[in-house]
Amino acid sequence: MSEKIKCSHCHLEFNKSVMIEDGEHYFCCNGCQGVFHLLSDQGLESFYKKAGDVKLTPPTKQYEDSSNFNAPAFYDRFVKTNKEGFNEVSLIIEGIHCSACVWLNEKALHKMDGVIEANINFTNNKATIVWADDVVKLSQIIDMIRAIGYNAYPYDASIQEAHANKERKEYYLRMAVALFATMNIMWIAVAQYAGYFTGITQDVKTILNIAEWTLATPVLFYSGWVFFRGAYYGMKNKVVNMDLLVATGATSTYLYSIYITFAQAGEAYFDSVSMIVTFVLIGKFLEVLSKKSVADTLDVISKQIPSEVNVVQEGKVVSVKLSEVRSGDVVVVSSGEKVLFDGEILQGGGSFDESNLTGESDPIYKGVGDTIISGTTSIDADVRFRATKDFAHSTLATLVNLLESALNKKPKIEQMANRLSEHFSSVILALAFVTFALWWLWPHSFETAFMVGISVIIIACPCALALATPVATLVGLSLGASRGILFKEAAQLETMATIDTLVLDKTGTITIGKPEVVQMHSLKSFDPALLYALVQSSKHPVARGVGAYIKEHYEIDAHEDFESYKQIPACGIEAQKGGKTFLGGNAKLLGMYAISGDFSSENTLFYFVEEKEIVAIFELQDGIKPHAKEIIANIAKRGIEVVMLTGDNAKSAQRIAHEAGIENYRYEQTPENKAAFVEELHAKGKKVVMVGDGVNDILALANADIGIVMGSGSDIAIEVSDVVLMDSSLKSLEDAFKISRTTFGLVKQNLGISLVYNAITIPLAMAGYVIPLVAAISMSVSSLLVVGNSMRIRLQWKKN
Amino acid sequence: MDNWVIAMMLGASIFLGAVALFAFLWAIKNGQFDDEEKFLNAAKFDGEEELNDAAAQERKRKELQRKRTMPE
Repeated sequence: MSEKIKCSHCHLEFNKSVMIEDGEHYFCCNGCQGVFHLLSDQGLESFYKKAGDVKLTPPTKQYEDSSNFNAPAFYDRFVKTNKEGFNEVSLIIEGIHCSACVWLNEKALHKMDGVIEANINFTNNKATIVWADDVVKLSQIIDMIRAIGYNAYPYDASIQEAHANKERKEYYLRMAVALFATMNIMWIAVAQYAGYFTGITQDVKTILNIAEWTLATPVLFYSGWVFFRGAYYGMKNKVVNMDLLVATGATSTYLYSIYITFAQAGEAYFDSVSMIVTFVLIGKFLEVLSKKSVADTLDVISKQIPSEVNVVQEGKVVSVKLSEVRSGDVVVVSSGEKVLFDGEILQGGGSFDESNLTGESDPIYKGVGDTIISGTTSIDADVRFRATKDFAHSTLATLVNLLESALNKKPKIEQMANRLSEHFSSVILALAFVTFALWWLWPHSFETAFMVGISVIIIACPCALALATPVATLVGLSLGASRGILFKEAAQLETMATIDTLVLDKTGTITIGKPEVVQMHSLKSFDPALLYALVQSSKHPVARGVGAYIKEHYEIDAHEDFESYKQIPACGIEAQKGGKTFLGGNAKLLGMYAISGDFSSENTLFYFVEEKEIVAIFELQDGIKPHAKEIIANIAKRGIEVVMLTGDNAKSAQRIAHEAGIENYRYEQTPENKAAFVEELHAKGKKVVMVGDGVNDILALANADIGIVMGSGSDIAIEVSDVVLMDSSLKSLEDAFKISRTTFGLVKQNLGISLVYNAITIPLAMAGYVIPLVAAISMSVSSLLVVGNSMRIRLQWKKN
Repeated sequence: MDNWVIAMMLGASIFLGAVALFAFLWAIKNGQFDDEEKFLNAAKFDGEEELNDAAAQERKRKELQRKRTMPE
């Protein structure tokens, strides 16, 4: 009987014979059955209607005891008390597939007594739960989430993340008010301008002025608050910044317009006030949007470090906070866990992944008496070890500290617009004052002199200047994003355009990162199916390379299987079949079994041995990526010096460098060496881009002016980097250079446009020729020019 | 047209607009637009039941708060 049937809970299909029959329903496991009945009892069956055919993960029952969640140590770290005195925790919910899952979780939690709020974000599966601790305990809440087939684990909703969100939200609010008021003022302004040309009674004009005044007030004082704040901090640090110019310009125009409204003569400029504030606020928001703080990066890294470890105390395993572990304590690490302390193994053994520290991707076997290093991950090892250092002095903590200081020290090239605006602002304020003084001294009334002085500020008011950079970088960011090049911060586009040195990692950056068979020497006939089965048992890249080669060149019809396999770390595989011993691995393995194989090649070798006799030798090579030579030559043509760094030996470094056409290379580099090399270049006054993909590159990535990481790279490397190339190709690298230079050119053009514009209009204003119409048109035309110019570049790129 | 009419129309329309603006600001502050996926789904699927649920939740919060301020 092989009729497939769907599980009533998780919708996965299985043979009918293995399903649990329960009335008209079928279940794949007890877990699904349990959840199904629970939901029916709670009156939540409509979940299945909402979920439709979405396949869910069947619930598993192997969770640690939830009472851990009530531990004071846990509360200290993750649980906050909110204003109303309720407790609040941030959780990540595992197993959410669709909006019905979100609904179910929220609904189930809402039904619990004492749960005040359960809010789950569908996009990132993060949940905020507020509850009254005297009514319900957190462990009960977690139990409920587990009971309905999901799992939850806490995360530190860091202050930084919350802060960034809060800042963004604040900007949304301010922009909403500004846009609403400005749009309404525009309508009223239409009437004003129509009246200016066709005639309008002073009474109506005053009514319109008062309406505009009402609308402009919240724009200036609520939306424009950021400029007052910025101007204040600028003055405190004795810097005349753009904020000061905007604040003085807008405020003096506002005051002048109020005066006009009461005097019932002349033109009020409330529309200019709100337009300036709104435009510049939008420009500022675009900058805020594309900012990434160092703190966020470190946060992600430290999030990967658990807060507690298992320690043996008086013969029992207990969880202890990281900071409470002293050197000499016995720490327990099980398979899949991260090692957080340096130490010496007392009991057990297994393979460890040390790629974080060495960049070497092969697992390394460690047994009793071996030292283990923090930051490595246990692959299949269950060990107990004696910590030789406390956490603060461990290799891992040192690495995090190094990274932190590197990220904080990261050279920030001041944006051109900021430098420019400082001078610009001082000059304009001075010009306005001089104009006012001259007009007043040359016999004019105070009002006329004041109005002309103000008009200089309004005309010069740097809408275009403020928009020049954000609009250009936005174009650059979107051009990059559409090609799979993610710039994490807008300012990096400008920095990257001024780069003169490119440092490339070898493995995974210039090369594909996967060895491929380039030649096979068959010494005796052998069964390819057997070899295929042998290499399939290992995840080592060399074994995979051989596997791919066999699959491509031989037809494997029978599925062979060995009676036993043994992985010999850093050597190869041993397998038994029908009393025969088969070996697959490197020269070291041959040495272990005392087999002589005097074959030498500059390539990586893989031997296949049957009963102590070599039957085949494979030569493998890590090839370079397509068009690498051409692209590197193109980049070099732009006047950029290209250097290759690798942890590999001289021979293979030379071969790859030659193939890629790189003259300058360094080999046998440790992560610290790589970072030191970048520092060295900095000391020589170079601006450096580092391109890498692995954890062994992170220090160098963080030290460089711009760290670029391949999308296939490790998570931490991606986090530390400034630019991510999603398709991991060198073509994207070249595009990234092109885009950054285009954008930088665009920033210059835009700034040029707005400066030329001001150079023409400011003398007009100083001469007193600025009538309201000119002021209004000048405001929008300069901004339109800047935006239009940016769009032009965008279209040009789109065509190519 | 009387000036008074212009003033009244301007006042009324700005007031109505302001009411909508404050509702929008309240919704932003309330976190209704924080998760775009959820907010779109809510617009599509939420019905009476969800409204009742939200009201019940609000009641529960008030009750617990009251209990807290004056124990028994």
